[in-house]
Amino acid sequence: MTRTTTTLTELARLGFADLSGAGEGLRDVPAELIPLFATAADPDQALRLLRGLLESAPDVVAPVLADESAARRLIRVLGASSGLADFLSHRPEQLNVLREPLRALPSADSYLALLLDAVEGVGGEAGWNSLRIAYRRELTRLAAWDLEQPDGQLVVDRVAAALADLAAAALDAALALARQASRFPKEEVAATRLAIIGMGKAGARELNYLSDVDVIFVAGADAASRIGDGETDGEPLSEGRAVEIATRLAMDTMRAIQELAVEPPLWEVDANLRPEGKDGALVRSLESHLAYYERWAKSWEFQALLKARAMAGDRELGERYVAGVAPMVWSSASRENFVESVQAMRERVTAHIPPEEVEVQLKLGPGGLRDVEFTIQLLQLVHGHSDPDVRQRSTLDALAALADRGYIGRVEATEFGSDYRFLRLLEHRIQLSRLRRTHLMPRDPDALRALARGSGVATTADGLLEAWQRVKQTVRTLHERLFYRPLLSAVAALPDDGYALTSAQAEARLAAIGFHDPRGALHHIAALTSGVSRRAQIQRNLLPVMLGWFAEGADPDLGLLNFRRLSDDLGETYWFLRMLRDSSGAAHRLTHVLSSSRFVGVLFERIPEAAAWLETDGELRPRSLADLLDETAATVARHSDEVDAAALALRTARRREVLRLALAGILGMITIEELGEGLSDITSALLTGALALCHRWGDGIEFGIIALGRYGGRELGFGSDADIVYVYEPAGASPEDAAHRAEVIVRELKRLTEDLRLPLDLDLGLRPEGKNGAVVRSLDSYRAYYDRWSLTWEAQALLRARGAVGDPGVLRAFESLADEVRYPASISQADVREVKRIKARVEAERLPGGVDPARHLKLGRGSLSDVEWFVQLLQLQHAAAFPALRTTSTLQALDAAVAAELMPAADAAKLRVAWIIASRARSAMTLWTAKTADVLPTDRQQLEGVARLLEYPPGGAARLEEDYLRTTRLARQVFERRFYGGLK
Amino acid sequence: MDKQRDFVLRTIEERGVKFVRLWFTDVTGTLKSVALAPAEVEGAFSEGVGFDGSAIEGLTRSFEADVLAHPDPTTFQILPWRGEIDPTARMFCDIMTPDGQPAAADPRNVLKRTLAKAADRGFTFYTHPEIEFYLLKSSKLKHGEAQPVDSAGYFDNVPGGTAHDFRRRSVRMLEDLGISVEFSHHEAGPGQNEIDLRYADALTMADNIMTFRTVIKEVAIEQGVYATFMPKPISGQPGSGMHTHMSLFEGDTNAFFDAAGQYQLSSIGRQFVAGLLRHAPEITAVTNQFVNSYKRLWGGDEAPSYLTWGHNNRSALVRVPLYKPGKGNSARVEYRAIDSAANPYLAFSLLLAAGLKGIEEGYELPPEADGDVWALSDSERRALGYDSLPASLDAALHLMEDSELVAETLGEQVYEYVLLNKRREWAGYRAQVTPFELSTNLEIL
Repeated sequence: MTRTTTTLTELARLGFADLSGAGEGLRDVPAELIPLFATAADPDQALRLLRGLLESAPDVVAPVLADESAARRLIRVLGASSGLADFLSHRPEQLNVLREPLRALPSADSYLALLLDAVEGVGGEAGWNSLRIAYRRELTRLAAWDLEQPDGQLVVDRVAAALADLAAAALDAALALARQASRFPKEEVAATRLAIIGMGKAGARELNYLSDVDVIFVAGADAASRIGDGETDGEPLSEGRAVEIATRLAMDTMRAIQELAVEPPLWEVDANLRPEGKDGALVRSLESHLAYYERWAKSWEFQALLKARAMAGDRELGERYVAGVAPMVWSSASRENFVESVQAMRERVTAHIPPEEVEVQLKLGPGGLRDVEFTIQLLQLVHGHSDPDVRQRSTLDALAALADRGYIGRVEATEFGSDYRFLRLLEHRIQLSRLRRTHLMPRDPDALRALARGSGVATTADGLLEAWQRVKQTVRTLHERLFYRPLLSAVAALPDDGYALTSAQAEARLAAIGFHDPRGALHHIAALTSGVSRRAQIQRNLLPVMLGWFAEGADPDLGLLNFRRLSDDLGETYWFLRMLRDSSGAAHRLTHVLSSSRFVGVLFERIPEAAAWLETDGELRPRSLADLLDETAATVARHSDEVDAAALALRTARRREVLRLALAGILGMITIEELGEGLSDITSALLTGALALCHRWGDGIEFGIIALGRYGGRELGFGSDADIVYVYEPAGASPEDAAHRAEVIVRELKRLTEDLRLPLDLDLGLRPEGKNGAVVRSLDSYRAYYDRWSLTWEAQALLRARGAVGDPGVLRAFESLADEVRYPASISQADVREVKRIKARVEAERLPGGVDPARHLKLGRGSLSDVEWFVQLLQLQHAAAFPALRTTSTLQALDAAVAAELMPAADAAKLRVAWIIASRARSAMTLWTAKTADVLPTDRQQLEGVARLLEYPPGGAARLEEDYLRTTRLARQVFERRFYGGLK
Repeated sequence: MDKQRDFVLRTIEERGVKFVRLWFTDVTGTLKSVALAPAEVEGAFSEGVGFDGSAIEGLTRSFEADVLAHPDPTTFQILPWRGEIDPTARMFCDIMTPDGQPAAADPRNVLKRTLAKAADRGFTFYTHPEIEFYLLKSSKLKHGEAQPVDSAGYFDNVPGGTAHDFRRRSVRMLEDLGISVEFSHHEAGPGQNEIDLRYADALTMADNIMTFRTVIKEVAIEQGVYATFMPKPISGQPGSGMHTHMSLFEGDTNAFFDAAGQYQLSSIGRQFVAGLLRHAPEITAVTNQFVNSYKRLWGGDEAPSYLTWGHNNRSALVRVPLYKPGKGNSARVEYRAIDSAANPYLAFSLLLAAGLKGIEEGYELPPEADGDVWALSDSERRALGYDSLPASLDAALHLMEDSELVAETLGEQVYEYVLLNKRREWAGYRAQVTPFELSTNLEIL
């Protein structure tokens, strides 16, 4: 043999990575074999393993190497699978399998014959070893065939089917061993029938190189058998006895496959899909199986039965099992909790993946195999109910059938079919490599390169990763394209789709994802997508995605309805179409707000253009008071002669800004404090404008609006009233004229700010003398009143007085008057007691009858009024000494009280969170129902809607309830201890 | 579960059961029952039986009016006292809201939730109660006092006595219901008896206790006497406690056992006991839920009024009993405050929660009390750091109001309801003028 040295360049061209090492190693290899290494996935590994074989078993390797095509196969196998190399090095005599290649993939029967032959006449552990060696020999031969194919993706389904057949043959051979070794009387064993039903991938004949094989065991007695004592005719074997014997046989069958022996186990036989799972009997009779499914099976068990196949053992019995359960998979009974089952399925798809695996998961995770399988199965379950043609076991068959029957487009079916093949091929190659059950892409660049070469998908690691990313990206859109897009074809004939769902089929799909009124929804979809307008065209593209988003919302039906209204309003507006088309983030936000809030739906009807803000975070920030006032001034100036038109413009601006805050609130972009400030500023801006319209400079008086209550504290929520009082000061006019002038202004203000769509309640209830008092007073009148009647509760109300709108002079004068009253140098014990007494009385009397105090957001146990009264009493007592307490804001005052060491921080924190959760719940209720309500709902659906707005996950109603009750109870404890004090 | 449901439906057919009673317990521990015809049982399994929960006190708030009772097939039993005519069976139920969530105010759900919490930490919780009760001639009082059926004492054998027959018949009936009895004997008070149930997991045991009370009442009716679980029916005589032995298992291993530990108690066991001692005051309003309970707790004798533990110390609140060598799995601790009138679901939940808290936080167990704690003077007890259980329902409620442990374990709604209900009881009690006041005050004032 002449040795020619191979240059490093040549080695590199062959695909070696460790060039000098390879040069060294190749010295022992016949020169004519060297080019063959180019076909190995990992030439370095192939070389290393080949040298190992040459060393340990030169005699058996030599004849293989002498045959060039056998040598090529050997190098391919060694390069692709260190697992098979292990087998061959332990069993070198099996190397000759490479000299007997497959011409075509063997049938199930021929595998069966081969494996039965292997166990013929050998018992016990020797039988197990013999079975496993024969299995691995065939696995080697199959892998060699697989690796030789020019395009692995094209044959991936046939390889998977062959693997399933080989596994079935192994089960049959194992069962034969079990029967042979059984200690039960021979004729009884013979009369015991045992069918092995394949489930999951084994059932669908789409098995991996190495996965668990899911099975169910079904037993029966041979009715023709006669078990007797030799003298009488005998009786047929009883069913009970058959189950007893079959249970033993099933256990021994599993042991032959998976128990430790000299030749390592093959794979796990997993029988946990049986009735009652791990706790159930391993083997049941056919009748017992059917009775179980008829009565008790859960929906997910029916989904598993979709793939059931008579795989091994008694075929006739197995077929009867499959025929028996098939109708149940599709019966109405299994559809009772269909939506829940689908959600459970989806949860399994998005099941927790360890974060460090997300990047390398081939199966789970976005764009993984599980995504394809989930979508196909969901479509099968939705449509297989009425259409037997789509009841296919394997993923690819199901995909083809769904396309044939027009449930999905042909183009998509082809595309996702090839994506699925791509992912499965990678999975096959990864598993083959070490014969390990894994779905993780390698991280090591060398392993990736080997995988690229072995799968033929790319030549380099980077090329492989790129191709994989592309496939992941299309698979991610799969669900939308296969599940949602065809919904449109049910309502609009789309020329180029080549498929058409009936409306009943489309309704079934919509109901499956949680629409309560699928017919109505379909109607909206029709309206949104039919026609030739640009809008319809864009919505046809976008709606499939949006439907999925609506389904995630608290109220999908509401979301779709709101969207339709919005779309009708905006029509062909250029930016709306552009936003829908180009900005999926904005469209997602839009579906979220539309399916979460009636309040927003109502406002959108008036201000559809607000949808544009969803594109830009900046547009969803509250506008500053200065900006708002600038706009107000401009509006007033623009309409200087038309008061009513100006007022309308001001009210419109208010609605627009409230909507902005509502959107920001729902999307979680502002805190409850920012919301309170924003809403208060919007109110001030409107009042400023309205006042400017009815109170012109030089009309003889100065006029001011004093904010009180939550408005004073800049803590308004959606649906809050604005507590105010009016004050004026004559500036030139006689006292009578001034009073008259002020009353006219008050009347005008009420008229100009009245808005039926988005009511602004100007509440004057806190004015001196309450309902009996004058609606407006002069500064002097206030002074005289407070001098005469300095009642503590008036002082308390003034704590939150803030000069909000009007002439600065009079506002300042009012605030300093208020300071004298509300920050007294000292407060008598009697007054303190009086505050406490009034609070106790309010608790007893103001709470509406029949309302549970624990659930009243405003006056309830530990909710808003407890926190506010507590803070206000501290302010009355200590604000004179601690200037930081002189604030109208509840939360700021609470902080100041801690800073002044008037209360421990821990107690303040309890009050703070209670105030926040009650405020948030109150605003959320208004957003959800578009009505103001003060009681935490008990109705589950309502509570769920509120919980979602408070950013709880789906199904969080009970958690919100528990959190709210706990938070307010703890606040109440602080309140009782520190406000009422003394004994309980 | 499914096998059990099959079994239930089959048994109903085979035994010709005419009525199936669905049992559940309200927050106060009273057993409630709905009767179903056999044909309705299958539907009850799949969909539950709807009823108006607002009619049941404490079970739901008035707004949660519609709730569903879902029978638990593992609790199916034929009721033996019904005889062969119209056989009647019972199952315990879980109460659910219409959207399929467990009703917040179902005591059985409270216990299930607490057990699940223990299971998350790998523990199963077993209990074994010694239930004391009095047999009276009738529920009517004579001269304002209850009339016991005999005047025998501890372990006395009363020839031809009612009590003996009574216990024999009761034990037989309990065994028929699948409830194993460990032990039964005459107790110290006249007409007072004790029956000890064999240990079981806490949920089964709570169900068993509810059944037990019914059985005892039924047998009493059969025999023309009256049975009461009132904690202290006769002043001057011992009260009826329900000393409860508890153990935690990790798989098949008793987590309280450590061959090397003091009294073979493991460190987990010591922490559990420490948890019980630390939290005992705040859970007392549930383990001893009636005004009358405190007459027993502070009635002297062996009542465990002080927060102490000991080995075979019958005055301690928690006792670490002696058990036979080599029986590591019977390692357990006995909580002696709880009385026979407690709601077992809630009481077991809180005992478990208190013990688990001790384990979670790694509480230190204080030194054991040796000798009779009652015999010490107040100052001695103070010096030794022996605090006491609350002296009245009122005091117990105040402690419970400040307890996060109780609120978290019971859930906000049950917690509120218990407080509300018990405050009402205390107010009613305080409103009366008692014979004691009249006899000691009237003549001199």
